[in-house]
Amino acid sequence: MQPRPTLSSSCARAATAAEARFRISYPDMASRASRVIALDEPAAELVRELAGQPWHGGRFLVFDRLTPAGNGHGPAADAVLQLADGSPTLLSSELDGADVAVMIATPAARAEVASVIGDACASRWVMSAGLVVAGGAVAGGAVAGHAAAGHAAAGDAVAGDAVAGNAPAEAVVAALRPNAMVLVVLRSSDDVAGILSALRV
Amino acid sequence: MLSAEVNDLLTQTGPGTAMGELFRQYWIPALLASELAENDGPPVRVKLLSERLIAFRDSDGRYGLMDEFCAHRGVSLWFGRNEESGLRCSYHGWKYDVTGQCLEIPSEPDERHSSLCAKVRLRSYPLVRIGDVLWTHMGDPAQVPPLPEWEFALVPPEQSYTSKRWQECNWLQALEGGIDSSHVSWLHSGGLRTDPLFKGSQGNKYNFADMKVFFEVVESEGGLLVGARRNAEEGHYYWRVTPWVMPAFTMIPPRGDHPVHGHFWVPIDDENCWVYSYDYHPVRPLSETELQAMRDGHGVHNQYVPGTFRPLQNKDNDYLMDREAQRRGDTYSGIKGIAMQDASLQESMGPVVDRTKERLVSTDSGIIMARRKLWQAAEALRDHGTKPPGIDPAHHRIRSVAIVLPADAPFADSCREALSVRPGQRHASV
Repeated sequence: MQPRPTLSSSCARAATAAEARFRISYPDMASRASRVIALDEPAAELVRELAGQPWHGGRFLVFDRLTPAGNGHGPAADAVLQLADGSPTLLSSELDGADVAVMIATPAARAEVASVIGDACASRWVMSAGLVVAGGAVAGGAVAGHAAAGHAAAGDAVAGDAVAGNAPAEAVVAALRPNAMVLVVLRSSDDVAGILSALRV
Repeated sequence: MLSAEVNDLLTQTGPGTAMGELFRQYWIPALLASELAENDGPPVRVKLLSERLIAFRDSDGRYGLMDEFCAHRGVSLWFGRNEESGLRCSYHGWKYDVTGQCLEIPSEPDERHSSLCAKVRLRSYPLVRIGDVLWTHMGDPAQVPPLPEWEFALVPPEQSYTSKRWQECNWLQALEGGIDSSHVSWLHSGGLRTDPLFKGSQGNKYNFADMKVFFEVVESEGGLLVGARRNAEEGHYYWRVTPWVMPAFTMIPPRGDHPVHGHFWVPIDDENCWVYSYDYHPVRPLSETELQAMRDGHGVHNQYVPGTFRPLQNKDNDYLMDREAQRRGDTYSGIKGIAMQDASLQESMGPVVDRTKERLVSTDSGIIMARRKLWQAAEALRDHGTKPPGIDPAHHRIRSVAIVLPADAPFADSCREALSVRPGQRHASV
């Protein structure tokens, strides 16, 4: 193969500040179809609060109950979720056509619920992620809060140790691990809104 | 996705900026010790956090880092004479010690000389050698933190090797590559098979056998732990755990008995950064074969344009793109070497990537969290004077880990001991 001369307009030189001005600008692509699902009651409070903010079309849902298989035995067939206004909907119908499902959980979450949602995502090739709020208060204005105080408090708690434990969240993290491609364990619910925003939910 | 305002906040590190003030809380790498190898050697121009500085080592072996320009007429002291315990400007002979204090103004009458000198002092910063690196603290001199305690810099010299390279983009997009574990299976797939500093470990077999990586991100006291897991033997996962310590330290999980490596990402200005790349072994000297591989640019290191810290593969030569190697699968991107595979793509984003246009996915959660922690820390410092994580030397005593764990074991707690520095004990690696 003949080597080619490096031209001033080749891709590498186009990375200069001067050339960056000529990057084409156009409107955002279509939004992903995102579902944010609270797995337990403390997470539900957070999700209901988040639902009132402006998003990119994401649907905010709260787990209500599992629906049994047809014969009443064996694994749950589906789950009933609630929309932010309290109206019911089915997990299966929410995941049809979804691109990503983000599960929000606290240590109060049940493994069985994570398993049903994870399986439903896997069977539909829906990307699943989990945000576990491991510590700190979830409710009561947490969404609008700021983590500044959280840093100081966390540092005080385990000063002198490079690696902090997340013991209260172990069970829910273990439950979510097989059911979420990505898991983020958070000390505070303050970061949930920020992560969802970064993902353009 | 970030707003333009937050992108500016995170990427601008000059004096008076929020992120610049954050960086000025820490000891950061300023030069390699080898750049000031001898007393009275040539001074070295250094640009850090958008400040132009001059570094020198005086007749007594003391290190100095100060404003590059003479207080008299603004001449660069790079042209100066390093002699008799001071750096003398070549223009009119003004002379400064390592603290920036003016010692001599030859043109002034002897009677007024000492009083005038006392009034002239260049801005200077401490410069301290720890390991192969000279470290500086560019913040408030009344609040200098304890010296850094990174293991790579504290092990005996024969166990460690550090290089640096100039990267032509903002520091943050370079750092983000160090946190982004999901690109390894693609961009660096060739290197796992062939690079002498990576190949041959059991862990590589897990890498190749399971391309579907699951991620877990956990907050640590100094920053984050990013765990990437793949299937191992029945009922077990292979975990690769990457620590990020604020603001700019990352450590790559080890492979077999190879040395452990990682990076410091230091802003030069808002469109350039220094990438310090270290390799060390906690319990044994690096072999001559390993050292030669590092000098030859393997692993996280690179080759240079002779006489410079600019990589031999750079944007002026399209990084020596080899389309045949790309077609054969020797390299995924056609670029040789792990360091330059990363740098070429990160530089291609432009000097400061526009994060308002990006489309992050959930596997980018480590990057999202790192940005949030930086943002929160910068604002907390600016608005409340809160000291950020990563200053405490306890946060430096951390290791990366490559380990096989039972499927139900939480990696951060299961690896608690392995993630901590244990002097004289080898790292956890498979």
